[in-house]
Amino acid sequence: MKLITATPWGVYTVWWRHFQVYRSTWLVSMLPPLSEPLVYLLAFGYGLTPLVGEVEYLGQSVSYARFIAPGMIAVGVLFQSFFEGAYGSFIRLNFQKTWQALLTAPLSFTDVFLGDWLWATTKGTIAGVLTGLVAVLANLYALQHLILSLPLIVLGSLLFGAFGLLVTGVVRKVDQVNVPIFLAIIPMFTLCGTYFPRSTLPPLLGAFAGILPLASLVDLLRWPLGLPQWWPLLLLWLVGWTVLLARLAAMRIYPRLFS
Amino acid sequence: MTANAMSLTAYDLWKQYDHAAVVQGISFTLQPGEILGLLGPNGAGKTTTVGMLFGTVIPTKGFVKFGPWQLPAQGQMARAQMGIVTQEDNLDPDFTVFNNLTHFAHHFRITGKAARERAGELLALVNLEEKAKAQVDDLSGGMKRRLVLARALLNKPQIVFLDEPTTGLDPDARQDFWRLVLHLKDSGCGILLTTHYMDEAQRLCDRILLLQQGKVIDEGPPADLVTRVIGHEVAEVEGVDDAILKHLADRYSTWHRNFGSGHLITLPDDPSDELWTTIESYHPRRLLRRQANLEDVFLRLTGSVLE
Repeated sequence: MKLITATPWGVYTVWWRHFQVYRSTWLVSMLPPLSEPLVYLLAFGYGLTPLVGEVEYLGQSVSYARFIAPGMIAVGVLFQSFFEGAYGSFIRLNFQKTWQALLTAPLSFTDVFLGDWLWATTKGTIAGVLTGLVAVLANLYALQHLILSLPLIVLGSLLFGAFGLLVTGVVRKVDQVNVPIFLAIIPMFTLCGTYFPRSTLPPLLGAFAGILPLASLVDLLRWPLGLPQWWPLLLLWLVGWTVLLARLAAMRIYPRLFS
Repeated sequence: MTANAMSLTAYDLWKQYDHAAVVQGISFTLQPGEILGLLGPNGAGKTTTVGMLFGTVIPTKGFVKFGPWQLPAQGQMARAQMGIVTQEDNLDPDFTVFNNLTHFAHHFRITGKAARERAGELLALVNLEEKAKAQVDDLSGGMKRRLVLARALLNKPQIVFLDEPTTGLDPDARQDFWRLVLHLKDSGCGILLTTHYMDEAQRLCDRILLLQQGKVIDEGPPADLVTRVIGHEVAEVEGVDDAILKHLADRYSTWHRNFGSGHLITLPDDPSDELWTTIESYHPRRLLRRQANLEDVFLRLTGSVLE
């Protein structure tokens, strides 16, 4: 695969195309990232907090609602960026043939790939920020903490957007997208310390959950409650996953367009 | 379009997939203001060749020169001066007809008022002004093809590729599309047209490359090809024994072969019309005298019909 140089204008126009579609249905598009955290807050925050009370995290007791707020931000990032990369890009590549149409314009593969990837990242970031704002309004995450967490939200969105694009490059039928959802997304969503500390898991399962990228993202987003000693490694781990997944995604999609 | 008109040249293009050679050494030049047709049956390598011309199919051997650019390496830059109508409809279903043009114009750095004006001009050209606010899915097949053509013209291209643009269209829609193609040619645009409709090729093309199994088997202006390979007239004959027709073909130094449920035999340019009269004397079940065409050329050169 030859990666042709991308141009900022080319990447921007692809991203802008996706943004125009989003803008035309903004009300519907904004609903899931807003409603999801609200439902989780009500269900887990109000439902479970009286039962759980406080949880132990890095040697300190924190309220359960405050504990799960960063987890909800990470889940918002995971779902929105992954699903845009997987379903959105899959539809544009295989049904709408948007990628093929874009390549009749003076755009390189890299322009189109980066445009799609950045769009998945944008959707993940929007979801993370909206979820964060809900947490801010519920007094579970400080506004300044959310602002400082923005680079982490973007990094997580890049990572899971790249994962979604890899799925687009691998699967041949849209139903097959369910496979990585059940094998990777749901295990991450449930096991990575979003809704309970991983220390409560059996050691082997806890270790497995710890190497999944969502675990690192959740741990880092929980920085206002404290950071693990090895947090720079977690950051590097996320960057490594992102680079690897993006590279693999590009390698898988390129032959679908160029022969 | 004509100020700095650019020609396109394909140099010995080859494309191999696994063990199958889909394109085998195709070379040609397309001049500004010319319509060059790639005519061949399905699987002849037409679409693969077009893909190599605009850079999404990487040649196994050979290259393409278009103006100052060499493809596939500089395909991205070359496409700024190209208009491409692919076989599949890949219009954007998320946008209206008008916005399909204005949004796509962005990729060519045509934005704002300039994009809206250009979109308006092109919708007028392809007679879709009244559909400007319609969704793409509400258009007929012919309208969609015209809109794809309009999209390909956003950048005022020097050269346009039309890959089987009228497949699946009804006769009226095909005629409409042909008018647009001829209008483009008159404006100085070089056009490469792939088709398996011989009437389309005969009507539109200045020059034709006949393709079979990835090779150019003959080329030339349609009328010259027909005259050189077949002659001026042919007879379709049913109900006369094969051996008799073979004997007649040998005697009059013409060509004949099985065709459908009967035979095809070329008629020599003979003022006395002796061969025709002789065939009539056998009282064939069906006898049709007609102008020779590209289908006959293809049949003679390849032994098969265009599909």
